[in-house]
Amino acid sequence: MVRAGAVGTHLPTSSLDIFGDLRKMNKRQLYYQVLNFAMIVSSALMIWKGLIVLTGSESPIVVVLSGSMEPAFHRGDLLFLTNFREDPIRAGEIVVFKVEGRDIPIVHRVIKVHEKDNGDIKFLTKGDNNEIDDRGLYKEGQNWLEKKDVVGRARGFLPYVGMVTIIMNDYPKFKYALLAVMGAYVLLKRES
Amino acid sequence: MAATASQGGRSGGGGGSSGAGGGPSCGTSSSRSGLLDKGREVFISIPVISLAMKKCNQGWKIDDKPVKIDKWDGSAVKNSLDDSAKKVLLEKYKYVENFGLIDGRLTICTISCFFAIVALIWDYMHPFPESKPVLALCVISYPFFFNEKSIFLVAHRKDPTGMDPDDIWQLSSSLKRFDDKYTLKLTFISGRTKQQREAEFTKSIAKFFDHSGTLVMDAYEPEISRLHDSLATERKIK
Repeated sequence: MVRAGAVGTHLPTSSLDIFGDLRKMNKRQLYYQVLNFAMIVSSALMIWKGLIVLTGSESPIVVVLSGSMEPAFHRGDLLFLTNFREDPIRAGEIVVFKVEGRDIPIVHRVIKVHEKDNGDIKFLTKGDNNEIDDRGLYKEGQNWLEKKDVVGRARGFLPYVGMVTIIMNDYPKFKYALLAVMGAYVLLKRES
Repeated sequence: MAATASQGGRSGGGGGSSGAGGGPSCGTSSSRSGLLDKGREVFISIPVISLAMKKCNQGWKIDDKPVKIDKWDGSAVKNSLDDSAKKVLLEKYKYVENFGLIDGRLTICTISCFFAIVALIWDYMHPFPESKPVLALCVISYPFFFNEKSIFLVAHRKDPTGMDPDDIWQLSSSLKRFDDKYTLKLTFISGRTKQQREAEFTKSIAKFFDHSGTLVMDAYEPEISRLHDSLATERKIK
């Protein structure tokens, strides 16, 4: 009597059977695998959005990309930002700001501040490791930055950790490969 | 040999879902006793009866291909033990699986993903500062959707008289990470009295798997049956 199951016994035990778990699943379990993947993505998303709400900054964790703030920050450092409206911006503080027309934020130090009675401010920034101030980086005709350009103020940092992000941005294939492997692992392996 | 035994047992009632015609015919072997009366049939039926008795003593057997998993992979071990326990309850005792609990969990998780998507889209449409309240709402409500209980089977047995509500059997299990002690808990909820009774065992997984990672049903199935019978017989005594 030949049973369908007999075919399976011919497979060598060392072969990589990544679909083995999936084959034995019914409809509900397959849906659960997809749902598990979606839950992981959703959880990561919720944590990120939660940080955004908590810190008030649209990008609470940034990576330093250039050496313009050495010796304080080096390329590859991770920065934690907050952007509370009540916190005043004073000279000497390190802020991350966005210039209109550029999408990559810049992290430099505030060197001059003009403040009005009602709280409006204009400030000038310069990188610690730069010779000149940032007026060359601002928009054409703009000489000062305002509160609305600020992404956040640096509150803490982790050295070197951001190098992973830099590598993944420089080699996008590596990033996609890593994401694909992680996604496949979650989708194909059966959790309890 | 197995073919002749099943031919003799065919009159006793259908061979059930499993095809090899084992279990159900044991209960109806008494109907074949008429064969023993005739001398001619005694000659043929002795091997048939002895085989049938052997089958009865063996009891119901799970006859799928033996499951082989990586014995060092904790979640694969737990999954295969859970699946086999489920199989025993559903196939041997013929209970009907109730998907309500599982469907409920799937729906709740889907709703939580939906919340996350709503948060994402809202934030995209109305850039950050305006979307704060909606984001806060979604983020705060998201963790409330998590509810990890360890019940993996809810099965009910239809009352044969059709009058009383069904009895419910629940299986839940736990296996700690990097630990070898597997706990299986069987809960019986009587349909009539709404009383709840539990039985559980904790054993090392080494008792059920051989060195190559194959689950040995001969060692595992009696444990399940023992749990089940301990709960079922209490009911009869009461």
